[in-house]
Amino acid sequence: MRITCPYCGNRSLDEFLYHGDAEPQRPDATADNAMDAFVSYAFERTNPPGQHHELWYHEAGCHAWLVVTRHVSTHAISSVDIARDLAKARTPNTAGRA
Amino acid sequence: MVENILQARSAFPEFSLSRYHQLTIAVREHITMVSLAAWDGQSEKVQSVIQSIYGHSLPQRPVRVGGMEVSFLWFGPDRWMAVGERDGGRDLEENLKRHLHGLAAVVDHSDGRAVLRLSGARARDVLAKGLPLDLHPRVFKANDVAITHASHIGVLLWQVDDAPTYDIAVPRSYAHSFSDWLLDAAEVFSAI
Repeated sequence: MRITCPYCGNRSLDEFLYHGDAEPQRPDATADNAMDAFVSYAFERTNPPGQHHELWYHEAGCHAWLVVTRHVSTHAISSVDIARDLAKARTPNTAGRA
Repeated sequence: MVENILQARSAFPEFSLSRYHQLTIAVREHITMVSLAAWDGQSEKVQSVIQSIYGHSLPQRPVRVGGMEVSFLWFGPDRWMAVGERDGGRDLEENLKRHLHGLAAVVDHSDGRAVLRLSGARARDVLAKGLPLDLHPRVFKANDVAITHASHIGVLLWQVDDAPTYDIAVPRSYAHSFSDWLLDAAEVFSAI
């Protein structure tokens, strides 16, 4: 399997580290159901066959965090996005701080 | 002998040079390397400061810009490595720190990295034994930069010219291990 890093280009898998499912969003720690929400966030995965959004880190390359959309049965990768861009699009108020 | 304690010593073991067919391996000493990492949201300001002082536009993809004395390598998103050669290294860190204060993290890597230069028609063949990259000239050209690994050692590589000539920076503490691998890979092109 090879991953096309949006910055570095097509690279061998051994340059990357897998860091888990990119779908779960960190729950609100102040909510009444925070404990249940965090248990679900940390441990519960449905793991269906088909397309997964996965976090990968380009450890031996540009050190970018990537969200790779991959079919877990065929390993076919349909898109690679920059995790920072996706995170900032979700929470625009943190963009451009400092 | 106090005066000997602070003498600069090469990161590489001594090895005989210029004993290959169509391949030259040389140790590059006295290269200044300073990394710039723009703080969140400050990348455009960093780019305009470098443009106004050095006249180079910092690259947004893995290439090298600049001249013989000061050049800038892409070193990741919103990160660059300033490379000073000859007189270009003098005060490079101080100047960058002063001009980029509050805009970027500026860190000197000069003593932490060791640089080798491979040149000649066989340079590509030697690197192909350990680098998981396509260095064919239709893909990787002069002034292209890559961050990858070779023989399990992280490398920063840039192509200097079409000879081809490559400069390769490795962490200093891995210099001996890296040169062991490289000389082994180059042995088949030995002139002896």
